[in-house]
Amino acid sequence: MAETDDKTGPPVTLIEPIDMTKLDPNFRKEIQNMPDGDEVNACFACSTCTAACPIANQWKYKPHQLIRMILLGMREEVLSSREIWECLTCFQCQERCPQGVRVTDIIFDLRDLASEEGKIPDAVKFLAKELLEKGQLYVVTADWEREDLDLEPEVPGLSTDEFKEILKRTRTGKIAGGE
Amino acid sequence: MSHPVLIIGAGVAGMTAAVELADSGIQTILVERKTTVGGNALDLYKAFPTDDCFYCFEGNRWRPGIRKCFYRSALLDQPNLVLKTNTTIKEISGEPGSFTVVLSVGPQYVDAAKCIMCGVCLEHSKAFDIVSPQCQPQAVTYDPSKADDGAKRAAEECPTKAIDLDAEPSEETVNVADVIVATGYHEMQPVNIDEYGYGKIPNVITQLELAQMLDPNGVAGGVLTRPSDGEPVRSVMMVQCVGSRDENYYPYCSKICCVFALKHANIIVLERENISVSVVYMDIRTYDRHERYYREAREAGVNFIRGRVQIVRPSTSGGVEVVVYDSLLDRYLRFDADLFVLSSALEAPEGGSEIIKALGLRESSGFVAPANPESEERVIVGDHVYACGTALGPAEVPESVTQARAVVSKILQSRRG
Ligand SMILES: Cc1cc2nc3c(=O)[nH]c(=O)nc-3n(C[C@H](O)[C@H](O)[C@H](O)COP(=O)(O)OP(=O)(O)OC[C@H]3O[C@@H](n4cnc5c(N)ncnc54)[C@H](O)[C@@H]3O)c2cc1C
Ligand code: SF4
Ligand code: SF4
Ligand code: SF4
Ligand code: SF4
Repeated sequence: MAETDDKTGPPVTLIEPIDMTKLDPNFRKEIQNMPDGDEVNACFACSTCTAACPIANQWKYKPHQLIRMILLGMREEVLSSREIWECLTCFQCQERCPQGVRVTDIIFDLRDLASEEGKIPDAVKFLAKELLEKGQLYVVTADWEREDLDLEPEVPGLSTDEFKEILKRTRTGKIAGGE
Repeated sequence: MSHPVLIIGAGVAGMTAAVELADSGIQTILVERKTTVGGNALDLYKAFPTDDCFYCFEGNRWRPGIRKCFYRSALLDQPNLVLKTNTTIKEISGEPGSFTVVLSVGPQYVDAAKCIMCGVCLEHSKAFDIVSPQCQPQAVTYDPSKADDGAKRAAEECPTKAIDLDAEPSEETVNVADVIVATGYHEMQPVNIDEYGYGKIPNVITQLELAQMLDPNGVAGGVLTRPSDGEPVRSVMMVQCVGSRDENYYPYCSKICCVFALKHANIIVLERENISVSVVYMDIRTYDRHERYYREAREAGVNFIRGRVQIVRPSTSGGVEVVVYDSLLDRYLRFDADLFVLSSALEAPEGGSEIIKALGLRESSGFVAPANPESEERVIVGDHVYACGTALGPAEVPESVTQARAVVSKILQSRRG
């Protein structure tokens, strides 16, 4: 029989394990150095945060898993996850965490980091653009409610121009206004 | 009024009981099968719960009994206490309250009362050794299997004439009123647990072996290096519950291995430079005040992975490749560790079952069990028979010492009036 490149080593596992040397061991430090992240190391994976979360049952990565992934150094996966953007910022997880991990605040931090790298979901980018262009997210329109309440059609004295000017120079401006 | 007490085993538990009974005026015979006392507490470096070094317990001088060198003089100089090292129990007969015990006394090559640890013999022959600078009795040991030409010369030049190379084993019969079993524990050698490769894959060690490596008085002076090639260790992975909580081996939780794994992890991360530590666990069981070690370890950046080990094999870099299933993430993780440390079960000591049989005691997973399982008096294991320390099952030093004192108080109470 002709030579084949048959391997005689141990059987190959079907799903390749995550290679720890390819992860970023400094990710946890990076989070720790963010304004709200100093307690992240204290997490002992009890999953109280996930139990508290009203939306985690929809998620692939539950809050306690996101914290685990930070500790393991799975930077890429955490910052690209949709979960950090879908968080309702209700603070239930953070209120209940028995180890003082500021889970919600850390999710804000993660959004900041992701944004810095341009990892922003289109829907969020769209909202940011709206904000930049209109200076407000929910534009007040002349509708029957205002009429019923005897209010003028326009909000008196509301000017978003100055606000738009400021926004342009913030990170939101840089990130969403770019192209 | 001489109703001597026989204590089998001179670990912290046996030593505490012996010294405190002797101090209370009771004739005490302390039998130890090794050449030095101290048992498993030798070479443990730092001790929870105080983090003192096992060598002197500096911050703990007020607390007698858990200090390794505390009984230096008492063990040899207390007139009520007879210490017999290198000695085992051959036979026990008689009645509760009046036991007849035959001791097999090994050859006493070095007279501990005479040796001044001058080291002259060590220069002449490899057969002499100092087990530990704090060893008790303070004397060198002699291993006849390593006898060489220098041994004779050592015997001649010993300034105190402490060496007798022709010493023979002997037998001695003693009559005692009470027996205390303080035979301690043994760290299981996980050679049969194939998945971890202990004894087959280089750089797979146990926690007790790690403790000895961390010990500044150990062979490597406390520097962590790979046993296979002496390369410096950069990453350590520990795995908990090896042989414990496993119906294939021991069904019980060994109770203290989580705490000493955390102790070791903290020492490595906080006292050594640039070594990362990961701990693979099912639950971390830190009872009582020891929870602080867990919190400290997490704060120090020790990586905790809930799950089990899938594959262990030598890695291309000379370390150990470990694939772990992380059950919290439902993902598999691959590590390259320089040391793979098994938190192996604490099992009953070798020969423990013979003593249990000879005294007709109850047994639980190989350890001595209380005579009355419903009673809270765990240390009473038979009529005039007591047990203390890890002979009763896994325990930390403070608990072992407390039990030894409970035994002392039981014996003293039984002899009142
Ligand atoms: C890795 C590791 C780290 C640890 N760290 C800590 C710590 O930091 N703090 C802490 O509190 N505890 C610690 N422990 C636990 C500690 O070792 C024990 O609590 C303590 O040593 C128990 O003492 P003992 O006297 O009961 O038993 P042992 O120390 O086992 O002593 C028993 C003695 O009896 C002798 N013997 C046995 N059978 C016979 C026989 N048939 N005839 C004659 N002699 C016999 C043995 O040779 C031995 O000397 C640690 C344990 C391990 C494995
Ligand atoms: S509740 Fe806190 S400690 Fe528990 S898993 Fe969530 S972050 Fe970690
Ligand atoms: S703040 Fe976000 S992660 Fe936390 S409970 Fe609310 S939705 Fe869940
Ligand atoms: S030469 Fe004698 S006194 Fe000196 S260490 Fe050896 S046995 Fe002890
Ligand atoms: S103390 Fe920890 S490592 Fe030891 S058997 Fe119990 S749970 Fe497992």
